[in-house]
Amino acid sequence: MAGAAAALDYDAELMLRVKEGDGASFALLLEKHRSPVVHFLYRMIQNQAVAEELAQDVFLRVYRSRATYEPTAKFTTWLFRIATHLALNSIRDGRHERQQDRLDDDSSELPVRQVSDGSPSVEQRMVYQAKLEEVRKAIAMLPEKQRAAVLMHKYEEMEYSQIAKVLSCSESAVKSLLFRAYETLRARLAHMA
Amino acid sequence: MKCPSQNQENAELLQAHVSRKLDADRAAVLEQHLATCAACREYAAAQFAMWEALDAWEAPSVSADFNRRLYSRIEQRVSWSDLLIRPLRPLFAARWMPVAAAACVLVAAGLWIEHPDRMPAVNAPQSAELEALPPDQAANALQEMQTMQEFSQVIHADSSEPQM
Repeated sequence: MAGAAAALDYDAELMLRVKEGDGASFALLLEKHRSPVVHFLYRMIQNQAVAEELAQDVFLRVYRSRATYEPTAKFTTWLFRIATHLALNSIRDGRHERQQDRLDDDSSELPVRQVSDGSPSVEQRMVYQAKLEEVRKAIAMLPEKQRAAVLMHKYEEMEYSQIAKVLSCSESAVKSLLFRAYETLRARLAHMA
Repeated sequence: MKCPSQNQENAELLQAHVSRKLDADRAAVLEQHLATCAACREYAAAQFAMWEALDAWEAPSVSADFNRRLYSRIEQRVSWSDLLIRPLRPLFAARWMPVAAAACVLVAAGLWIEHPDRMPAVNAPQSAELEALPPDQAANALQEMQTMQEFSQVIHADSSEPQM
């Protein structure tokens, strides 16, 4: 069953071509998955510079592992497994905290969401930034595994089964992680309703 | 349906409904329950609010030089053997190459069978040189070999004598 799923995975086919020495296929994989990986790492670490550095490590590992690659799972499962592993290591090392642009200092790099007339007022922008800050802090306060599960579920729209494979746990454990995480977030963000 | 506030499984269903990941049939059953249960309605409203708050968090776009930096790191790690093989990779990758190589071998074999005299003989020059060797030169070579043997015998005889 897993083999059949992997056979249908176009990304895994591309990776097999990379294994044969096709650089163009690696470029396609990079183009497709660069933003999701960087965004996931950014939300995990909450530091853009470190997130990009880690994302580079992810793709470097993918490239270096090409010779031994076997499509035993979905390509994205493997990719996010590497990304999660690196993110958790980075958090445990406190690597992201040593960087200059800290969580509190890098709000200027955030995209400004446009309101309907296309030009947000100063007040609207301030409200948006304050709301965003609360969301960021609420997610940053989640335990690492819950945080990773929420980010994969909410922003990468991954299925429970895939998250379970990334986090090396059972599907029911993922449901439980997500339930607890969303409960915590609801309590922390309830006043924003 | 048992109230999600009293049943873990249904509480997970309610969360799935909020994240819009519930199939239509189960969503309809849940909606029926929400219509009659104020506590669950309140809970669902808070969950929807939380979900929308999370939607507001957009990640910044990736740096324009991300690929350049990555490829630069990849190049740094490329081994010398990779660099040597790289120019030949397109040849190996081309599917017609093995067929063309086999065809070349067949044509060469065919030519050799048809016209063996036209094919270059690998050992020909060497044997030609031996055949062309003048008789006196061969005699000289034999003479030199004999001299060397005698010289070797003298040397060994000297070294076997006890040193004074």
